[in-house]
Amino acid sequence: MMSKTVRKLFLVLPILVGYLAVVFALADYMRSKPFVEKLGYIPSVNTMKAMSADHRETVGALLMLKVLMYYGGLVDKASNELEMPIDYPAMSRTIDASLKLDPYNMDGYYFAQAILTWNVGQVALANTFLERGMEYRDWDWQLPYFVGFNYAYFLKDYGRAAKYYRRAAELSGNNMFISLAGRYMQRSGSTEMAIVYLGNMARNSRDQAVKKSLLVRQAAFIRVLELEKARDAFVQQHGKLPGSLEELVRAGLLRGIPRDPYGGKFILQSDGSISSTSGFSFSGGKK
Amino acid sequence: MLNTVAVNLRAIFRDRVFHGIVVVALLFLLIPSVSSLSMRQVTELSITLALSLLSLILLLLSISLGATSLWKDIERRYTYSVLSLPLSRSSYLVGKFVAVALFLLLATLVLGAVACCMIWLASGIYPADRPIVWMNLVLCIAADLLKYVMLVAYAFLFSTVSTSFFLPIFGTISVFLAGNASQQAYDYVHSPLAKTLSPVVKQAASFFYYLLPNFSAFNLRINAIYGIPLSMKAVVLPVMYFCIYTTLLVVLATVIFTRREMK
Repeated sequence: MMSKTVRKLFLVLPILVGYLAVVFALADYMRSKPFVEKLGYIPSVNTMKAMSADHRETVGALLMLKVLMYYGGLVDKASNELEMPIDYPAMSRTIDASLKLDPYNMDGYYFAQAILTWNVGQVALANTFLERGMEYRDWDWQLPYFVGFNYAYFLKDYGRAAKYYRRAAELSGNNMFISLAGRYMQRSGSTEMAIVYLGNMARNSRDQAVKKSLLVRQAAFIRVLELEKARDAFVQQHGKLPGSLEELVRAGLLRGIPRDPYGGKFILQSDGSISSTSGFSFSGGKK
Repeated sequence: MLNTVAVNLRAIFRDRVFHGIVVVALLFLLIPSVSSLSMRQVTELSITLALSLLSLILLLLSISLGATSLWKDIERRYTYSVLSLPLSRSSYLVGKFVAVALFLLLATLVLGAVACCMIWLASGIYPADRPIVWMNLVLCIAADLLKYVMLVAYAFLFSTVSTSFFLPIFGTISVFLAGNASQQAYDYVHSPLAKTLSPVVKQAASFFYYLLPNFSAFNLRINAIYGIPLSMKAVVLPVMYFCIYTTLLVVLATVIFTRREMK
């Protein structure tokens, strides 16, 4: 009787040990797989539309959740530092597919606006998504607000920005948007508006990785604004631009040069604008 | 006939189909937590997932009950003994169909209520951009039910001509996929993108478009998820379409079944 049990145990034990060895190796391999492989093969949008039958919106939402999880997984939660380069083209393609399956999905537009514009500089692509979305979400003031911001802040096209802000004002019933485009014309207005905008975006985000990304950028811009104000005061006092940021400290206009949250060093460009050696990204800060 | 419906309905319950549904329906409980992963549309995502899960369960029920119930009776030779009673073949078939349709209705009522509860819970986590239009949600679920009753009619039609369950099952799945894609295919064929297609292909596409069921007409998801207003036409026309199309299918199935040789 005993020997039978022992024999059975000897038979089962190697299988169990083998299973444990394989399952951990498999989990390790799956974790290290790049995004595109992890996401698997994405068929063309038309194929997905036909094959998903009446679950089109669900497939779109699941693709979007996949992007969110991928992005959240790559952004280290404690310091918001990226552990490995993000495959932005794959992310853009997935968002595009998701929005074609469900053009009403706000998560897609929000993510495109929060991440694609700032982190990858794909402003034109984000605007294409948003302008397409405005045809469907025709009640939503946020989409024209985002497009207006992109035109004003990134593309410096104030005419178009004003047009979209007017649309945002009409839809929201809030006339504040109409005065927004004008404020970009001022020298430090742009940074100020970006701070307000990033704060709004972060407040409305439920995804911690996206929220953190927006808040770090806002913190950087608050410091840039501090430097811009000191620079403007210097110009008023001396009638010329300072030679460096250190000169602002020596003139008593700044207590010290603030720290760039991305790990870079703030510098004064020859045209008077403030930039950072980090290029406002963590990968830039590490260089 | 009422007796046939009652007997068949009891048989479905005896098969413990509800037990299977309850196991799958446990997934409804996960909806609020999965929806909370969304950045900006927790409620909308909960509606999307709830409607999808409900639709998936109804699809599985339609295929399993619709495509196998007649075949099973013939295979077990129940049909012979039942038809030896003073009962016409048409009453027998229609009775079975109505029983499956009623069971789908019952499952929709129960699962629809569970889905609504989960959506309500999820809306407590993060309210929707626009308030939930419960009427749209109810209409969307009702439209889904009509779609699956139509699919059951197709399953019965296939069952009357087939001696195995392969045609009823795979035929019903094919009709489901084709019926959902027919509008998209029709729109594509008649769009400027398909300029190079030959007129024969275009006419064939139109023929199949009118012949196959148009399940897209029953898809009110966008209206339910995002609270977009529904026009009277979007509700009344599909209902009329359902009544006529399903009646045609059942009549056709009855005619074939009455003439079928039972060996």
